[in-house]
Amino acid sequence: MKSEIDHPPVAPCCGAKRRQFLWETGAGFTGLALSALLAGDGFFARHAVASGSAANVLPRAPHFAGKAKSVIFVFCYGGPPQMDLFDYKPELQQRDGQTINLEIRRGSVKPGTLLASRRSFKQYGQTGQWCSDALPHLSQQMDKLAVIKSLYADSFAHGSAMIQLNTGRIVQGHPSLGSWLAYGLGTQNQNLPSFVVMLDPRGGPISGAANWMSGYMPARYQATVLRTAGDPILDLSPVSGMSRAHQREQVDAINTLNAEHLRSRPGFSELQARIASYELAFQLQSTAPEVLDLAGEDLKTLDLYGVNDPKPTNHQLAMGPAHFGRQCLIARRLVERGVRFVQIYSGGGHFQENWDAHVNQEENLKIHCPEIDKPLAGLLTDLERRGMLDETLIVWGGEFGRQPVAQGPGRDHNPKGFTYWLAGGGVKPGSYGETDELGHEAVRKAHHVRDLHATILHLMGLNHHDLKYLYNGLDHRLTGVVPAEVIGGLLA
Amino acid sequence: MQFHRSILLLLGLTLRSEASAAEPVMEQGHWAYRPVARPSLPRVRQRHWVTNPIDAFVIARLEASGLSPNRPATKRELIRRAYFDLIGLPPAPEAVAAFEADPSPAAWTRVIDGLLAQPQYGERWGRHWLDVVRYGQTNGYERDAEKPFAWRYRDYVIQALNLDVPYDRFVREQLAGDELPDASMASLVATGYYRVGAWDDEPDDKRLAEYDELDDFISTTGQAFLGSTIGCARCHDHKFDPFTQRDYYALVAIFHNVRPYAVPSFASDSPTLLPLTTPEVATRWQQEVRTRLAALEAEMGSEQDSRKREALRRQLEELRANPPPFPLALAVRDRPTQAPATRLLVRGNPANPGDEVRPGFPASLTSEAPKLVPTSGRRLALAEWIASEANPLTARVIVNRTWRHHFGRGIVPTPNDFGRAGRPPSHPELLDWLASEFVVQGWSLKQLHRLIMQSSAYQMSSIADNVPARSVDEGNVRLWRQQLRRVEAEVIRDAALAVSGQLNLSMGGRGIFPKLSREVLAGQSRPGNGWEESPPTEQSRRSVYLFVKRTLLVPLLESFDFTNTTTPVGERASTTVAPQALMLLNGEFFQQQATAWATRLQREAGESTFAQVERAYRLAFGRSPSDTEQRIALRYLQERSLKGLCLVLLNLNEFVYVD
Repeated sequence: MKSEIDHPPVAPCCGAKRRQFLWETGAGFTGLALSALLAGDGFFARHAVASGSAANVLPRAPHFAGKAKSVIFVFCYGGPPQMDLFDYKPELQQRDGQTINLEIRRGSVKPGTLLASRRSFKQYGQTGQWCSDALPHLSQQMDKLAVIKSLYADSFAHGSAMIQLNTGRIVQGHPSLGSWLAYGLGTQNQNLPSFVVMLDPRGGPISGAANWMSGYMPARYQATVLRTAGDPILDLSPVSGMSRAHQREQVDAINTLNAEHLRSRPGFSELQARIASYELAFQLQSTAPEVLDLAGEDLKTLDLYGVNDPKPTNHQLAMGPAHFGRQCLIARRLVERGVRFVQIYSGGGHFQENWDAHVNQEENLKIHCPEIDKPLAGLLTDLERRGMLDETLIVWGGEFGRQPVAQGPGRDHNPKGFTYWLAGGGVKPGSYGETDELGHEAVRKAHHVRDLHATILHLMGLNHHDLKYLYNGLDHRLTGVVPAEVIGGLLA
Repeated sequence: MQFHRSILLLLGLTLRSEASAAEPVMEQGHWAYRPVARPSLPRVRQRHWVTNPIDAFVIARLEASGLSPNRPATKRELIRRAYFDLIGLPPAPEAVAAFEADPSPAAWTRVIDGLLAQPQYGERWGRHWLDVVRYGQTNGYERDAEKPFAWRYRDYVIQALNLDVPYDRFVREQLAGDELPDASMASLVATGYYRVGAWDDEPDDKRLAEYDELDDFISTTGQAFLGSTIGCARCHDHKFDPFTQRDYYALVAIFHNVRPYAVPSFASDSPTLLPLTTPEVATRWQQEVRTRLAALEAEMGSEQDSRKREALRRQLEELRANPPPFPLALAVRDRPTQAPATRLLVRGNPANPGDEVRPGFPASLTSEAPKLVPTSGRRLALAEWIASEANPLTARVIVNRTWRHHFGRGIVPTPNDFGRAGRPPSHPELLDWLASEFVVQGWSLKQLHRLIMQSSAYQMSSIADNVPARSVDEGNVRLWRQQLRRVEAEVIRDAALAVSGQLNLSMGGRGIFPKLSREVLAGQSRPGNGWEESPPTEQSRRSVYLFVKRTLLVPLLESFDFTNTTTPVGERASTTVAPQALMLLNGEFFQQQATAWATRLQREAGESTFAQVERAYRLAFGRSPSDTEQRIALRYLQERSLKGLCLVLLNLNEFVYVD
């Protein structure tokens, strides 16, 4: 026992000193030259199961070779309706208007009127997967998608359901999926954050920042919210009127004085790390806007994502594909530069501003489907033609699905059976699992969302059981204490 | 194995009660569960270094490894350390100068006593405690609604520390302030302890949510007061420590009579809002309101005219919303009836109840059974057991927390986990001596600060230029030097306000809302919802008064490793990331402080740029700049501006690290 506490975590030798310097920096933003120093140090061979306090965001070896290097998670906040998009239910279509008893909220079984989808469905491609006419562009890409129709989660309410999809638990305070990946794998680009979130301009999701916080992990693992308009990162730009040269001078003055301070305090790597963080902040001022600058993209690419499509006039809330398309393109540019985890929220605020179609399902589809349809198809096409699709994992879904029964012309929440799809690195296209004949509850090959989390980790080369973080006496895992399994049927 | 365990489960109750009847089932193996024994002082060679018993333990360990203690800190370093440690603010240049000029040995004592007497002491140390009890002012989750009067609990903590309420009393007030024979307004407010955690107002499973709330009580109480992760035994016996699932449900039984949190309402017999007045006044008011409500309702029922009905309806609503003429506290309230029977939940599942479990304390820690009355007093029994010198954990845990904030690292480096999964103490005998001395001195935290700060160990320099020592003990586990420490988010903000001259020291109340940028508010589903903007002078108050909204933390705090507001935190992280630099360089708050500071410097130092730099260094760092620093600063000031220089100084390592 004694020897354990007598030795600092890093043996003092000259190689380690440089290493610790970077360790303490902890940022997703360490200078490339510095990480090159470490490459010769055998540092990258370190295994991914790091103890909490010693972990950092430098690249770390996965548990095994994962097929994917980055994730783009498209979160359709509000809960998209499975039976109107991918989960075709002929029986529901036939029984439109009939009354049945269904669990509408936990433990509350009530009579409801079946609401058939107003959409028409067709099978597409080699895989013959169903897709509705709500997504005319994406339907052409069905052979790239592994569609799991049999997921379920634990909460009928947005607040806890959102948090569960993002952190694995229905209670607040745990790290989000992006934090776990940053913790487990680090970043591949030292000049950009490893975990980026982009929001819908209509507002954030319910529970706001709790969806991308690092919970009990250090702040270095929390998401950076990247704004596609204005200042992309909080306080990134110098105050108005200040030139880049002036900011450079500021950083130089600070670090010259910091060097003086450091001279009389030898051996404090934290002080060196903080000096480095000012250099990195300065670099970020050019690297972050560069990601957002689409000037270098050709017109064909921009069109692919619908970036220049006009704003539709059919509904005041509808935005058309331009905004989300821009975010998808930026997501590609981020993963191209080594960012590990990009989450884009489709939908914000409340009710029809997002996928939460209590008021009117058809209206909701007309607002939101065109916003994501072309951009997602464009993203898949673009990644494929660039040879990036094999190394990028696309995840699509919401915090739950919706009910087959009507709530006026709308649909209520339903965590008992809903659809996600995965595409890209390591994914086997095709349909997986089933809900019952009405699309209400997952019945065949049903999987809890923890299995989805385990699968995402697996595709990224991490074993959900071994990826753990010791906090307050417990080894915490993203997938929690109930055993989770990788969904083998989704894997290539 | 499986068979053996199930038999044990079946026989659990019988085995336990027989064992406890015979003799205490004390856990002898693990150090933290053994009774605190006051160790005798070790014999040491360098006796001249020993100022008080703390030093004997420290030097004994150093001598055993052939290390020498570091030289003493300079007086400037010392007074800055004392200020940041005790009140979280930098000393005024005059205070530094006076201390430096005073050669009397009593000068140091006067500094300590002076700081302990300042109300800012309670604010500084209150914030440490708020971390431990997962303090927040909103529920979290979808609506993240405000918890009315949660701030009274924060103010109670600050005041209790300022009054040096004995720690055992502090424990009793929070756990059972309503059940104490000498309950007071303050002790009622203290039970807000139970109410300031996160709460899902729309749980998926109501029955599970009820147990989640009880779990929050157990986990928080376990970690905060006992440094114990007994909360981990909800679904199965603890994996590392001698706590069974029965122990866990025995604690559930203790809290089971607490009425669950509900959206607080003023007029009703609320489970969460207590009137801070005599019961007679509160009852009379409630009766009056009830009578008037009944009258209005009757009138409305018989009124035919729809416009008049509407007017009556509005009156009714106003009356319902009308706050009472006396203050309210967010507090705990037991059910008026007998506590429900508690059953062990198999695998923690409320749908799968097992044997009934009686209220009790963890069997491995005590043989004592709580003395109970059927309807109440359960929490008081728990409080008495925790706030007792016989409890092996309580004094050790708080002494260690205090030590941690004076040395940057606890004697036990895991302040919330003294169990087997935690880390062992670096100086076990010192910990026990402190714990025992703390109890002898009447559980006085202020006395504990004095004791620690009077030691030579505390007064060592933090400079790590002793190469041999560094090579043997780079992490300073053996305490051969003091620890250079980055200050917390709140201290960075408060220190900036202090040097700029903008700091508003007014205390207490609901809390303040600093201006947040539109970009930050855009992360909310209803941008701006639940956030206000306080008047500018209010925005200059100390950070402990920043409104704690669980889904919208002030970015400066969040970026600098603010506490996790949903679970107890004994040890904040300290990370260094580029966005922090951006915030300090370009954020509006620091720009404003730089502007104000520049104005102050012109006022206090006149037009001489040399004098301005001198004064700036005195204010921020309590010293004159070196020649090199003076030269760099002057050049920057001349090429840019005084404000620009002020911003540079706010960004320096020396501004956020204390020697």
